[in-house]
Amino acid sequence: MKIAVDAMGGDYAPTEVVKGVEMARDLHPDMEFLLFGPKDQVEPLVANTERITLVHTEQVIEMGEEPVKAIKAKKDSSMVKAAEAVHNGEADAFLSGGNTGALLAAGLFIVGRIKGIERPALTTTLPMVEGPNDKFVMLDVGANADSRAFHLYQYAFMGAYYADAVLGIQKPRVGLLNNGTEADKGDKLHKAVHELLAANHDLNFIGNVESRELLNGAADVVVTDGFTGNAALKSTEGTALTMLNLIKRSIINGGLKDKLGAYLLKDTFNDINTKLDYSKYGGAVLIGVKAPVVKMHGSSKATTVRNTLGQIHTMVKSNTVGKIVDYFNTHADAMKAIKQEAKNN
Amino acid sequence: MTKDEVFNRVADMISDQFEVDRSKITGDLNFKSDLDADSIDFVEFVLNLESEFGATIDDEDAEKLNTVNEAVDYIVSHS
Repeated sequence: MKIAVDAMGGDYAPTEVVKGVEMARDLHPDMEFLLFGPKDQVEPLVANTERITLVHTEQVIEMGEEPVKAIKAKKDSSMVKAAEAVHNGEADAFLSGGNTGALLAAGLFIVGRIKGIERPALTTTLPMVEGPNDKFVMLDVGANADSRAFHLYQYAFMGAYYADAVLGIQKPRVGLLNNGTEADKGDKLHKAVHELLAANHDLNFIGNVESRELLNGAADVVVTDGFTGNAALKSTEGTALTMLNLIKRSIINGGLKDKLGAYLLKDTFNDINTKLDYSKYGGAVLIGVKAPVVKMHGSSKATTVRNTLGQIHTMVKSNTVGKIVDYFNTHADAMKAIKQEAKNN
Repeated sequence: MTKDEVFNRVADMISDQFEVDRSKITGDLNFKSDLDADSIDFVEFVLNLESEFGATIDDEDAEKLNTVNEAVDYIVSHS
């Protein structure tokens, strides 16, 4: 398998990106890489060019640039060229840690949507602290701010395929993020989505789930609109970080008893840290496009780059995208009917 | 390229992107009211137009394209 990597995406690019690519290359003998970026900056960083091809690009899309304008104006950027390599069939997947909006635009407009899928969704994997598995997926966490009921209905299928193929969760429990667990909760959009999902028998739909139960195993696939999903994700991250900082500050400012207690609990704190560190699951995947397009965190270091490439390895090997394509091809007529029904609601 | 040729290629693109019957695509078809296109659908369509015809469509000009005929006329006069 061949992966197109934007060497210039991220706060520590290209150094950490190149390091991570080399780590992944050494770990996965069946992986090859196309590394996009200015050759004078990228080439000196590559220690060993085995299974790594450098593709020179002149431009770089910066973090603050307006996404659609940037991909239109900077046709010779590492991000656009990497996306084009996937579109042209020269690579099987695309990874970047750069401008999220531009990456979503490149995924949507250059790699292109799977036929029959209205909107691709940004999908993230999070730790499950209690519950049947140790992780779950949530989508959409920010690709589409404005969503229709039919979009969320399709996210449920894409999320279920991802949970099954990549996380190994069979018959994953699909929940709809809402402001209460009862079926009649939520605004017009969420009521309509609940109705559509409840009527489907291919999915293991368990109903509405609340944000406070997300990390406690509420569902294996959490379906949400991009606006709510992004807010819920950031709120969860922020709360966890604030709690950890509060504990840290209390220990630093506390007396000898607090410090001794912290010393005795050192292993426990490390375990919690490992459990909550979701960078080990890789990056956020844009599902619904013709090949895996993955966004890793802007602050990714080499280890996260390696982990994310491991996640891509699983996605390509398990043919996640192919399975989604097959489902939507074989259910094209049913999808059209449901789309019409959703529109009439 | 004649207007008819452009129209046929644009109609093929619309049929493919919006999954509508090719025979139902007329010059008067409105992207918003008839095809239910939102901003993302429309950006996708404009980018497809650009790559299909090798044209560059400014954002301000793109905003004025409401119907199939307006898109076809734009391509004819700018290529």
